[in-house]
Amino acid sequence: MEPPPPPPPSATGAVSLPRLPILTSDELSKKAFGPLQKRINSGADVSFFLTSRAYKELMVWIMQLNHSLIPRLSPDTARPVCFPLEPGRRGWSEPVRRLREMLGGCEELILEAPPEENKNRRFGNGACRVWHGKLGERIQGWIDGLGLGVNGGVKEELRGYFMGAWGDKGRLDYGTGHELSFLAFLGGLWKVGFFGGGEEKEGEREREVVIGVVEIRYLEVVRKLITTYTLEPAGSHGVWGLDDHSFVPYIFGSAQFTKPILGRTEATPVEGSCPGAPKPASAVDKQTVEDYRGSNMYFGAIGFIYDVKRGPFWEHSPMLFDISGIKDGWGKINKGMVKMYRAEVLGKFPVVQHFGFGGLWAWEVDPEMVGERSVHLQSQPVQNQAQSLGQGGGEGGTKAPWARGAMGGMSGGQVSMPRPMDGGVMAPTGLPGRGQVPTPRGGIPNTGPMEQTSFPRGGGMHDRVGGNQFSVTKAPWAKD
Amino acid sequence: MPGLPSSVDLDECIARLYKKELLAESVIEAICAKTKELLMRESNVVHVKAPVTVVGDIHGQFYDLIEIFRIGGFCPDTNYLFLGDYVDRGMFSVETISLLVCLKLRYPNRLHLIRGNHESRGVTQSYGFYTECSRKYGNANVWHHFTDMFDYLTLSVVIDDRIFCVHGGLSPSIHSIDQIKIIDRFREIPHEGPMADLVWSDPDPERDEFSLSPRGAGYTFGSQVVKKFLEVNKMEHILRAHQLCQEGYQTLFDNQLSTVWSAPNYCYRCGNMASVLEVGENGERVFNVFEAAPENDQVKDMQMGQDKMGEQGQLPDYFL
Repeated sequence: MEPPPPPPPSATGAVSLPRLPILTSDELSKKAFGPLQKRINSGADVSFFLTSRAYKELMVWIMQLNHSLIPRLSPDTARPVCFPLEPGRRGWSEPVRRLREMLGGCEELILEAPPEENKNRRFGNGACRVWHGKLGERIQGWIDGLGLGVNGGVKEELRGYFMGAWGDKGRLDYGTGHELSFLAFLGGLWKVGFFGGGEEKEGEREREVVIGVVEIRYLEVVRKLITTYTLEPAGSHGVWGLDDHSFVPYIFGSAQFTKPILGRTEATPVEGSCPGAPKPASAVDKQTVEDYRGSNMYFGAIGFIYDVKRGPFWEHSPMLFDISGIKDGWGKINKGMVKMYRAEVLGKFPVVQHFGFGGLWAWEVDPEMVGERSVHLQSQPVQNQAQSLGQGGGEGGTKAPWARGAMGGMSGGQVSMPRPMDGGVMAPTGLPGRGQVPTPRGGIPNTGPMEQTSFPRGGGMHDRVGGNQFSVTKAPWAKD
Repeated sequence: MPGLPSSVDLDECIARLYKKELLAESVIEAICAKTKELLMRESNVVHVKAPVTVVGDIHGQFYDLIEIFRIGGFCPDTNYLFLGDYVDRGMFSVETISLLVCLKLRYPNRLHLIRGNHESRGVTQSYGFYTECSRKYGNANVWHHFTDMFDYLTLSVVIDDRIFCVHGGLSPSIHSIDQIKIIDRFREIPHEGPMADLVWSDPDPERDEFSLSPRGAGYTFGSQVVKKFLEVNKMEHILRAHQLCQEGYQTLFDNQLSTVWSAPNYCYRCGNMASVLEVGENGERVFNVFEAAPENDQVKDMQMGQDKMGEQGQLPDYFL
């Protein structure tokens, strides 16, 4: 990677924002790439994941994208420079242009797979499976068309993440696990140098990835899939979750309105707003949402909620309603969203169980990350660390919170799935030998506390709930 | 009702709950204790007679529960069988389960409640009921009272010896209904085994046999499984809930199995219909389809909602 430019003077102190490393040609030829491997099969595996290089680098990638959207103070103008979405923009860098073309292709496939009239369907429209099939037919050509200059194994991994980004074709649902898969696809492209590796231009390349690819195209196509094929908000926490399907637009959208910074060496603000940004309270006002949904991702996501939900906002979306009451500005919201994403998306078994690993996102211990484990375990349910809860990670219907990932897999079929050990019955939790987690050596400083919002606080409950209900011992009458 | 403290007047509780008012914590405690005593005497397989109106998942959609009574008749004029999943996801799970439990105590033979997979400590901690109890009462005591009571709910009902009713579906370890009767059900729903399967399983019209469920608990089961179960147990039909249906219901396997879903416009957005199934005296089955209650759309006084949400802002900890 290029050396960072000399830090400009900053009131909050200069920091070096970590960036996702771009793989050298040596690494690209020597590392093992191939079909994505499913690794997360139990709660213990989630604990391991939270100490892995893949987890660390996914967070680096998200924070890198997040930082690029923060408004910049400019010496030339009195007002800070903001980065709104630009729906009508034409000039994109070549890599972003190609990706947008690819996503446009995904959207066109919807026309080739019109929703079926089938009175006896249960909920999701089966034509979505036709859409997935057509995507499967085109994807290799599209990946080849990106001109990556990488070997087949790398392309196979990228294809796996892309295919996993559109919901589950069996269950006909969509959630944050699929969204994560798309971020992994984009991060993978970054790692292989697709977006360039040259001089830093104040986050310009990252910014294009978010406003040109993630929001204006990917989320557009996702929302169209959800409404066209009535993809189930399954695994949703209903009114008690943030959103039935999405998470990242709330992170990036709050960054767009946060307190301006001098440049890329200044840390992400944790409070304050950009002058001229709408107040957080207006995020629940329908008219303001209409005014800003085209330019801001947070408002875009709420706009979609207004499109699809009926009833009073405070009733169907109380968490977003409560967040709109935050007085410390968009920076505070941004910080909270990142924390919540770590705990409720990356830290939850039902969401990350389908994530595939390989050479791009590696299932290997990162020595810096072992301290993360203890922090995250505190956010696991009291009974059993395997019992983790998702924010709607593509689980069909209610997912058993303790669910083991022995079946399913990413929709693209790119994940090798271990079969249940005894041909049908799920294994007890805490398999010996799997997901052995190194002993924590003490927390690393940059991870905030991971309090659980919806779990018991204080004493009392542990004793009462700690009985046999999540015992790994089978009941005497249980099947073999 | 004998055994309830004299300060607890069930009819008054029911009247309050119909108005969507919350009961005091001490009243909930007494009512749950009494309900446990009542449910303890029920078999794992309760036999009832038609006519009876069967209701699927509610998930805290209180206005739609009231709509069901408006459409199907109020208790005790109509007999009801509820197939579980009273709580989680919706905004009014506390009001919903409070009302159903009071009605069960008041009219024990007119209303039956089966256990769903959400009537569980583990699941309610994830999907909202725990949070809702904590917010509306300021502590988790009410959640403890309700979830302790859930351990006593029955697992299945048979209508007129011909319709087998359960929340989720069949289990590879249950061939005969008699095998359900010997389950020790007075406990949290286990991760696996027949009790878990009854509340977690789903039919799969594409298959013949059992297969692991993508939910991570229970199984999917196909046409041959259904056929064999009905033959062995001399039943005509399986009736279950547990899965969202666009039309409010779905009938599978040559009309041998029905799914009934009673939460219209699920999660305020699915645009689905809901239904209740009316089983007549001669076993005839009629789905009564309905859409979301008008109260769902009304612009309610936000203050009303906020009062219940406690005094201070209820920001998730991540944002503090």
